[in-house]
Amino acid sequence: MNDVLLLARTHILTALRERVTLFWFLVFPVFLLVILSLIFGQIGQQGEITFDVSLVNFDGSTTSIFSGMIEGVFENLAQSDDAEDDPLFALRHAEADEDLDSFLAAELTAVRRGRRAAVIVIPEGFGHELEQQVVSSGSPGGSSSTEGPSLMVYYSEGNAASDMAVSIIKQVLAGVNREILARSGRFDQTVAIEASSTWVGSESGGTVYVDFLLPGIILMGFFTNSLFGIPGAILFSRDHRVLRRYWVTPLSVPRYLGGLSIGHLTLCAFQFGILLIVGRFGLGSTVSFASLSAVLHLLLAAATFMAFGFLIASLARTANAGMAVANILNMPMMFLSGLFFPITGLPMFIRAIVYVNPVSYLADGLRSSVGVESAVFPAALVIAVPLGWIALSTGIASWRLRWDVAR
Amino acid sequence: MKAFRALLRTESAVFFRDKATVFFTLLFPLVFILIFGFLMGDVDEPAATLGLYEAVPSDLALHDVLASSAADAIESFEDEASLRSAVVDREIDFGLIWNGETLGFLYHPNRVQENYAFEQIALGVTDAFNLRAQGLDPVLSTTTIHVGSEASTRWFNQMVPGIIAFSILSSGLFAVAGHLTAMKERRTLDRMIVTPMPRVALLCATATVRLIVVYVSTLITLFVSIAIFDLAFRIDWIAYTLLVGSATLGMMGLGTVIALVVRRASSAGSVANVLAILMMFLSGIYFPIELMPRFLRAFSKALPLTYLAEGMRYVTGVQDMSLLRFWMIVLAFLAIGLGLFPILARYIVRPQRR
Repeated sequence: MNDVLLLARTHILTALRERVTLFWFLVFPVFLLVILSLIFGQIGQQGEITFDVSLVNFDGSTTSIFSGMIEGVFENLAQSDDAEDDPLFALRHAEADEDLDSFLAAELTAVRRGRRAAVIVIPEGFGHELEQQVVSSGSPGGSSSTEGPSLMVYYSEGNAASDMAVSIIKQVLAGVNREILARSGRFDQTVAIEASSTWVGSESGGTVYVDFLLPGIILMGFFTNSLFGIPGAILFSRDHRVLRRYWVTPLSVPRYLGGLSIGHLTLCAFQFGILLIVGRFGLGSTVSFASLSAVLHLLLAAATFMAFGFLIASLARTANAGMAVANILNMPMMFLSGLFFPITGLPMFIRAIVYVNPVSYLADGLRSSVGVESAVFPAALVIAVPLGWIALSTGIASWRLRWDVAR
Repeated sequence: MKAFRALLRTESAVFFRDKATVFFTLLFPLVFILIFGFLMGDVDEPAATLGLYEAVPSDLALHDVLASSAADAIESFEDEASLRSAVVDREIDFGLIWNGETLGFLYHPNRVQENYAFEQIALGVTDAFNLRAQGLDPVLSTTTIHVGSEASTRWFNQMVPGIIAFSILSSGLFAVAGHLTAMKERRTLDRMIVTPMPRVALLCATATVRLIVVYVSTLITLFVSIAIFDLAFRIDWIAYTLLVGSATLGMMGLGTVIALVVRRASSAGSVANVLAILMMFLSGIYFPIELMPRFLRAFSKALPLTYLAEGMRYVTGVQDMSLLRFWMIVLAFLAIGLGLFPILARYIVRPQRR
């Protein structure tokens, strides 16, 4: 038993001493967890994102209250109550002595160049037209269906920040609409229809993105660890004739594999612990893995990926070829499994890859076992497909894997 | 010149014999394009199907509002349970329950990419229905005007030049940090430099092969994305060629720095790989820089890939840029490439001490 444990210890120490391996094994999953949580976890949340927006008021010299009111609303949104929070908008105005047309032209160029998310233009005569609209639509016989005066919003379609800024500006102006109608006594706020949001498909209610992401990143860590770690350990040892030296000792292949597997699973446990700590204490995740079902899914994932690593090792003639095969499979298998983003609306041939990819079932099973998502695949498939991959990989590996360099 | 021609042939043969390098240079960007194109190609225009269950007699005003909303299709349900299960099973994108008093919107919590868009549609429906319910019309309206080029109207248009920029970065870095250091490690360089071959000929041959291969690779990526995803680009071919050429040289210069800083030759490729991946996530290729936290936004401005991606968007007509800025980017890459690559690479192409 000592030789097996010594081999496990050697595998762990080798992995931890190699800085590049350490990066892929530990730093990269943590980095990805943090960066994706910071970006996608805060979409639409005020205080986290600031949009560079300009406001050009061609109606500033009139006595109408409405132009000033709209300008005031956006100025308020450009200030933050909390010093730690970013305001929603970083608002730019023309200088007092600046020509408005030149300022607008410069700001439109800034939108085209991606330096400004949007430019809001209050056209000349806007306030007066709005006053007339309010009066005429409120008077008996007045037309309520006439289109009101329009604010112009210039943006760059396809630019995510610009698209998002425009949808927020539209919501702000919808609020202004209601406020104007309420102040003119025609919209009764007390009978306003309320809207509510309910999250369905999750036992824990509204899942924050980090809770969705954490199980995926843990699986990604296990996956990359196995995909590169197992073939790396076997093939580099074989190429450098380390394995040949083992075989002249009483060590047998099953005991070597036992040591490698124990070492690998210990590394997976270590990786899981680090990611859980970062997710829970650094990013506020509340997802709990303390259930038999979650633990079994984690073990199934580690075993499936380990068997997959043996499969890669058996298919490659050299260590470099093994790493190349692992690199080729890594990205498609990770992205076409729903580890980071839910996958919907894919064409049939891509969906076929999703259906044969064991990572898809393991991600689905783990997420449903920790209660962040209802299972998409039937429970039997979630277990059967990874088990099938273990059987297939082990079968091919035991048939093809060579334990010594070709003479 | 004779040595250069001979080395050019050799370097080309070495490149095309190495299947892994050929795959990662020519085909790997395509893998990215296909994965992200199919996964996220329509993220800016999600086909939002709204499921509706009316617990009270049908309301014409609500149907009018929904018909003019940004939802692409409205599907009616007989009861709340079937609506909920349709949301859970992702048969519809989000749901709405109208009980005569409140509008209850149902979302699937894990549709992280699309929920923001669905919530915006829901807010629009709520505002419009509130006014209609009290017999009112909006007193002011909003007119949105797109001021960018036609080629920039889809999110994936912005992403493809970024993926091309990343492939230039990794190919350039690996030309030195991978290829030349591997030659050094195998002591091939030691054997070559005891011949009358001018050292600069080897560097020029390596650079020439890499320039041609990277240029072809970017064209393949570009044309495949146009053919499969029906993307439109307005390419300024002269600016495109200038940028791809200067950026490839610039990245080779940076690869030389890595090869010199990292003591073990075999680790240089791995370090280059790590740096390339980190830059990929922080340069606004996959996630817009504007959506990042403030400290990451500042960090991304220090990365060469940010400027290369920006330049690629300009030369493909996706985003505007001042000519001055474009030339500054091109000249900066040229300066890095022409300054660092020959000077520092001479230190690499020298006999190793035993």
